[in-house]
Amino acid sequence: MSWRRYFRRAKWDRERREELEAYVQMESEHNLARGMSDSDARAAAQRKLGNGTQIREEIYRMNTIAWFDALCRDIRYALRGLRRNPTFTLVAVLTLALGIGASTAIFTVVNGVLLRPLSYPQPRRLVRLWETLPKRSIYRNVINAWNFLDWQSRAQAFEGMAAITTSQTINLSGGGEPVAVDGAAVTTNFFDILGVRPEIGRTFTAEEGILGRGQVAILSHELWQRRFGGDRGVIGRKLTLNGGPVSVIGVMPAGFSFPKVPAGIWLSLPIDHSPLWEGGRFLAAVARLKPGVTVGQADADLKRVAAQLSKERPGFDQGWSAEAAPMLADTTGDVRTALLVLLGAVGFLLLIACSNVANLFLMRGAERYREISLREALGASRRRIFSHLLTESLMICVLAGTLGLGLGEWGLKAVLALLPQSVALPRSESIVLDSRVLACTLALCVLTTLIFGLVPLIRAGRSELQQSLRVRSRAASKGIRRAFVCVQVAMALVLSVGAGLMARSFARLAAVNPGFDTERVVAMSLSPAGRYPNAQAVAGYFERIVSEVRSAPGVESASTIQFLAMESESRSCFTPPTDGPLPPVSVQPSAMFSVIGPDYFKTMGIPVERGREFDGHDGLGSPTVIVVNAAFAKKFYPGENVVGKKLMICWTSNLPNPAEIVGVAGDARHQSMADAPEPTIFVANLQAPTFGNLIVRVKGDPAQIERAAVAAIHKVNPDQAVAKIRTLKEVVDDSVARPRFQSALMLVFAGVALLLASIGVYGVASYSVAQRTNEIGIRVAIGASRGDIAKLILREGALMCGIGAIAGLAAALGLTRFLASLLYEISPSDPSTLATVCGVLIASAAIAIALPVRRATRVDPMTALRYE
Amino acid sequence: MPRRESPLQSEMLQGTLDMLILQTLVLGPAHGHTIAHAIERGSEEVLQIEHGSLYPALHRLEDRGWIASFWGTSENNRKARYYRLTPAGRKQLTAQTARWEEVVRAIGRILKPAAE
Repeated sequence: MSWRRYFRRAKWDRERREELEAYVQMESEHNLARGMSDSDARAAAQRKLGNGTQIREEIYRMNTIAWFDALCRDIRYALRGLRRNPTFTLVAVLTLALGIGASTAIFTVVNGVLLRPLSYPQPRRLVRLWETLPKRSIYRNVINAWNFLDWQSRAQAFEGMAAITTSQTINLSGGGEPVAVDGAAVTTNFFDILGVRPEIGRTFTAEEGILGRGQVAILSHELWQRRFGGDRGVIGRKLTLNGGPVSVIGVMPAGFSFPKVPAGIWLSLPIDHSPLWEGGRFLAAVARLKPGVTVGQADADLKRVAAQLSKERPGFDQGWSAEAAPMLADTTGDVRTALLVLLGAVGFLLLIACSNVANLFLMRGAERYREISLREALGASRRRIFSHLLTESLMICVLAGTLGLGLGEWGLKAVLALLPQSVALPRSESIVLDSRVLACTLALCVLTTLIFGLVPLIRAGRSELQQSLRVRSRAASKGIRRAFVCVQVAMALVLSVGAGLMARSFARLAAVNPGFDTERVVAMSLSPAGRYPNAQAVAGYFERIVSEVRSAPGVESASTIQFLAMESESRSCFTPPTDGPLPPVSVQPSAMFSVIGPDYFKTMGIPVERGREFDGHDGLGSPTVIVVNAAFAKKFYPGENVVGKKLMICWTSNLPNPAEIVGVAGDARHQSMADAPEPTIFVANLQAPTFGNLIVRVKGDPAQIERAAVAAIHKVNPDQAVAKIRTLKEVVDDSVARPRFQSALMLVFAGVALLLASIGVYGVASYSVAQRTNEIGIRVAIGASRGDIAKLILREGALMCGIGAIAGLAAALGLTRFLASLLYEISPSDPSTLATVCGVLIASAAIAIALPVRRATRVDPMTALRYE
Repeated sequence: MPRRESPLQSEMLQGTLDMLILQTLVLGPAHGHTIAHAIERGSEEVLQIEHGSLYPALHRLEDRGWIASFWGTSENNRKARYYRLTPAGRKQLTAQTARWEEVVRAIGRILKPAAE
């Protein structure tokens, strides 16, 4: 028995025919030689050989691989059956493909973001470290440099820990158009902790971590390709970063990145115990555990060190602690719930699709009782019939799986395109259809086949030959079918409630007034493009740029802000002046701090409620002035006029205290659209200069301003890169992109679920009408009115939907609490959403059932009676 | 796929026929017609085999790798399928013959018990 011969059976058989023919020829010649007549000789030869066809058949059978042959036959038979029923096939395949496709797409995302291990060696030993302030419920806070150094030297549980700054825009100039590149500074052991070697060149030496010695940079593979065309001679080349010379020492391999810190360039971070690094918290950290150490042990170890530090430096660290968390969970924590909710949603969708197809099969199965019984009577074994029926569902599944995989890939692209680049999911680079996804899709196919393919099988298995030949088993699978519809309705309801809640939550979020003008304000990011010996120089540079932009055509006003709304923020502390020594920093009240230029509020369209905003006279030599927002005034000086009050603020040491409040601005959202405005202190950029964002209020169309503004900036410095030019509307839209993405997907899923459930209700109701035509005919004949008939069918439908809806509501109330963290200003059991969703469900069920009811009321008693 | 017959009977007959075919081919390659007649003649017409049953047997033996086949030309210039013994077939024949003789001796001892 060989596969080769199996597939060449026909040729083989031809050869056997020749061989047998040769025998007959030889034998007849032999007989002729013995003196027989021509015809006798041949007949005798045939006799001697025996039945040639039987011999060939025997050999043919020997060459046949029986199970494979049976499978081929089953597949052929199944395909023929499906072709004969194109509507059934189409509906079943499309329904399943939708379910499989949606599940594949979402599972691909979940797999890429939540499940795939981080792409570093031994990723389970990597942890992220944070400072915490438990008494104010502040967790995952960035770290003070001195604290980090002390953790590094005192903690026992770690093989090593590295610090990294948040990503910042770096001005890369010299040799062509200046560009803004994302960059981050890291301690020199950063790459060793992650365990990644450079593609070419080397990583930092310890020496390069000393302040003033680290004029070296490591490039990402992507930047190397884009800017330097993958030239290996880039090693040792001098670049101009932020106006200073830096030489390239290495290029990291393709795909290397650190989560949430986009970087094309890595610089060394020269932290040490000098006073320069004493204050402030701004570092992120990653550490590798010693082999065998658990995260819990490491966390305890770190807390022990943090407790020591808080005793040693109470002025700065009092109340502060620390935490270590597994890196993967830490990285994906903020999207985990949302993704799992979506995964649950597609799971429901898939189950609805499965039960729909199972129902289709059941109805078909009921119609095929006779066929099956006949085949049984003709001698088909139970096993053959089972395998035949299973093949049929398998064919549907293979078709649906193939289509679903295609749909899934397309859906995945569509899903990812819903998210703007700037707010992509963490680890979105690892979202790919990998073998695990394929295995999962395959498993889904097998599972769905089992679910919808097995139920009719069990029924077929029970079919008693005699009985089913005699009577048409009418009510055979009615119970199961109804149960399936109830489940569908229930699941569609749960999904719709989830979608409804998320959509309403998003609508509320989108309707929030941020407190500033989003339409006519354009923001752009500036990074230092030259060496500035002192604050004066930075301030002067900024003043020139702003005044140049202000006089550009189409510009109404222009200003600056260090961290743009929705993107980043900084916090610090303040205290009213006292006669004695100031209280330690760690117990002073804190507020948000924002560094802004003159005319900021005018440019943003934020009202100044009292006093004034900064102007060009609030410079480095003049008395320190600050503006606060209404929330600040209300929280710290309720009912008082704060203008004229003096505060001691913790900001850069060049800003002399006390600072005088000169104005109160209206509240505007800064952290996010979902968070109410926080008490904020505004510091004048001309007094504490820093790079940041330029904001421009335009007279006309914001799209027109880009070129004029860039030209104006380049008039001041042609090496100044201008990045991320966008309107504040885009900034705000991007900030709510994730909730929009979640609610849009949920709405789509809920819509599909409702559609499938409606199809399910319709299918069962119309099948029931078809089956009961006879009964309806009799009822009409003995005087039932159309209304009675309609009631008959409606009652059945209403019962199914009612039970489904009640079960669904109960499940929804139980499940929606998982949504709570994703919802904005709406309760997970919001009654009006529940009511609306129930209304929609009832309406779609009513539409689905209307047609069968109509058909039932049109039944002509004569035709119906003749029907049987 | 062998047909389901009574296993004992089919195995005995099959084994015997197989051995006879292999034995015939020891003398050199031959085609089906020659093999059939050779077996008949060799047994002095005692073993009357149905010539047709030879072909499935040949097929089976080839399948097991004991014989190999090729198309050739017969003595009277006809196209014919020739079979020859492979080394594996030769080994098989030796083994089978030995076993056969053992069985024959055993049966002989039972049927003709040693002189009393």
